[in-house]
Amino acid sequence: MAMEASNVKPPVSAIEEAHLDLYTIPSYSSWFQWGNIHEIERISLREFFDGSSITRTPRIYKEYRDFIICKYREEPSGRLTFTELRKSLVGDVSTLHKVFTFLEKWGIINFSGTVSAEPAEVQQRHKKEVRVEEGAPYGVRVVAAPNSLKPVAPLPPPVDVGGGGGGELAENGSKFPPLASYSDIYGELLQQQQQGKEGKELVLCGSCKQQCDSGHYEHTKDEFLLLCKKCFGNGDYGSKSAHDFKYVDDTNQVVWTEAETLLLLESVLKHGDDWELVAQNVKTKSKLDCISKLLQLPFGDLMLGSALRKTKVWDRNAGQAVPAHSVQDTVTGDDQQHEHKNQGQQNANVEDPGPPHKRLCTVPNLDASSSLMKQVGRLSSVVGPPVTACAADAAVAELCYENRCSREIFDDDNFGDELGYSARTDEEERVLPVENSEGEKGPTVSGASEHRGNELQEQTFRKNVVPLTLRMRAATATSLGAAAAHAKLLAAQEEREIEHLLASVIETQLKKLQRKAKYLENLEMIMEKQQDQFGEFEEDIVAERMKVLQEIISAGIPRWKDHTSMKSLTGNVL
Amino acid sequence: MKPLSTWGSSRNPVKFRIPTSDNLLPIRLDIEIDGQRFRDAFTWNPSDPDSEVVVFAKRTVKDLKLPPAFVTQIAQSIQSQLTEFRSYEGQDMYTGERVVPIKLDLRVNHTLIKDQFLWDLNNFESDPEEFARTFCKDMGIEDPEVGPAIAIAIREQLYEIAVQSVASAKESRMIKKGRKGFEHIPISKAGGIAVDLVKSFGNKSSVIRKRKEWDVFEPIVDLLSNEEVDALEATEERNAR
Repeated sequence: MAMEASNVKPPVSAIEEAHLDLYTIPSYSSWFQWGNIHEIERISLREFFDGSSITRTPRIYKEYRDFIICKYREEPSGRLTFTELRKSLVGDVSTLHKVFTFLEKWGIINFSGTVSAEPAEVQQRHKKEVRVEEGAPYGVRVVAAPNSLKPVAPLPPPVDVGGGGGGELAENGSKFPPLASYSDIYGELLQQQQQGKEGKELVLCGSCKQQCDSGHYEHTKDEFLLLCKKCFGNGDYGSKSAHDFKYVDDTNQVVWTEAETLLLLESVLKHGDDWELVAQNVKTKSKLDCISKLLQLPFGDLMLGSALRKTKVWDRNAGQAVPAHSVQDTVTGDDQQHEHKNQGQQNANVEDPGPPHKRLCTVPNLDASSSLMKQVGRLSSVVGPPVTACAADAAVAELCYENRCSREIFDDDNFGDELGYSARTDEEERVLPVENSEGEKGPTVSGASEHRGNELQEQTFRKNVVPLTLRMRAATATSLGAAAAHAKLLAAQEEREIEHLLASVIETQLKKLQRKAKYLENLEMIMEKQQDQFGEFEEDIVAERMKVLQEIISAGIPRWKDHTSMKSLTGNVL
Repeated sequence: MKPLSTWGSSRNPVKFRIPTSDNLLPIRLDIEIDGQRFRDAFTWNPSDPDSEVVVFAKRTVKDLKLPPAFVTQIAQSIQSQLTEFRSYEGQDMYTGERVVPIKLDLRVNHTLIKDQFLWDLNNFESDPEEFARTFCKDMGIEDPEVGPAIAIAIREQLYEIAVQSVASAKESRMIKKGRKGFEHIPISKAGGIAVDLVKSFGNKSSVIRKRKEWDVFEPIVDLLSNEEVDALEATEERNAR
């Protein structure tokens, strides 16, 4: 919860006015004043104000309160503890504690202290046994949006565990640690990589602060509590008991040389997610080791993740591409590679380096049983629209490039007129959807073209597989184009609708305001009329009174005991 | 000037109870059988059925692997302390306005604590456990046994004072006729251990202590080494004999 700090100045004499210390208290405590006791205080600390005891009077309360605040302000950067305080005050400790907690709760004291108000055990443990780190913990990257390296400022304390290390809390009460930069987050990692060149994770013992060599003991409940073997043997484990620790063996840590890392990266680029092949390439390391090493590298999972996201080209209109999918089903390529190629193109996952069979269908949740397009649709909904748009752009560009090749191949190919004809018709129809203003036609056209392509493919299936592939690409490009056009139209429609709705909302609001204004006008009129009426009544009454008085006087009543105004009236009358 | 119901006053004495928010009785055990010594202190809820005493004793012996002869002794000790408490229970407690000094002087494992502070006997919402928790947190004590030990020490002293006030209530009821100024009674009756309220809290004085007195009321927490602990234990045993 963000709190705006407001400043409260303690009472200072004129001499010290030149040098005023600013203390910050939260804005919800701005009711507090030095000279008074506020209602909130009276209610929360009732026992001082109900006269129930001679030991609790408002005067005494004010003395306690002022003393506590002054004591705190002698050292505003530290946290004033109750025990430190109570020795200076005469009174029941429970009552004093109540006053203390009241002031602390309202932030009048201990507001900008750097020590977070955690339960003692947690704080103690962490103070002793945790390395205080700047920024996000090791291996965790705090990002503002996927694929971006810009870290976000973490939430303000009191949840902050590493406490003071998370950031200096400045005097002006700012509770946000500084934005961590890349070097902050990865500085440690880089450092460690430089230090332990094999890339071994540095384990520091909690009590002796030295590196644990072969193995260390980890506390079962708190992974941060680590002890090296030496300390464990010494029995120096603070307040924990011996059987809470379990042994973690480091001796079989994998050691990665630079050459291996290079190999790993290359094979990942080449083979993508196929860890069998990657492991084969990096011959000395198993599959698991490869994966974990890749994740450890700062950009490792970026590579994995971005590739996954790039596979999502189809936007929300996944349905448009269904015909393409059915085409693909009929192709019973005997070479699995080619089928993968097809699938790869269905996914339209192309990256500039590498052949198209990279990034095989190891998409998460990829289920062979469910429709490919459904999965694509699901995944595309996970990713944000700008990413999808970029990916679509890239895919279209790539496919267009390939289409040119396919065109050449088709033209050169002596397949016979059927293929050539169909190729040309494909081209025409490919052009059509792109230029087509109506999105609905597009998919059907492309569907038709693909059907034709389908028949032809069946006939010429065995003859040449390569053109088949390229035809596939052509088909997918067509559907891509259709889908893109449709998407654009939908977007335009959405915008129009939004505008329309907005306009209607504004109109309604205006009408409402107009009605209100009119109503208020009416009310005013009524009030004025009433006022006039009352004025008239007043005059009537005064006139009546005068009449009555006149009658009385004329009736000759001698004594007149009334207020002076009446006397003067009678005087006037007489 | 209506007193709150939680604070007893001289006009309506309260039934005897431990003057804390939860009516828990401090129990201290110190049993020796065949050279083996068992010392413990804990709080007991007097509203628990008495059958629990034996159950508790058995479980303690089992957990700590003591010889079974301890079971009866433990149960007996607890029971007798409970009975004593119950004997006071029906009677009136006269607390008046009392702020008493509580002194802590105890050793728990490696931690030595010396402290003194004031406690309002009338505050039936006071919580020694909370005080102990704050104490340990502020002083950075990590030994988890210290907190409860502090709480029990406080409770014992409160118990003792409460017992005394029962006795004094009986006497004062006889003497009280015509006496005004109830603040003065506790002073004369309780042997002067209560704080002079008028002097401390009256209009002429400040509730802020003089600086030279701060050290007196500051808690002292010492961490002892193993040898010191052994030495102290030896002295205690010698004194006990």
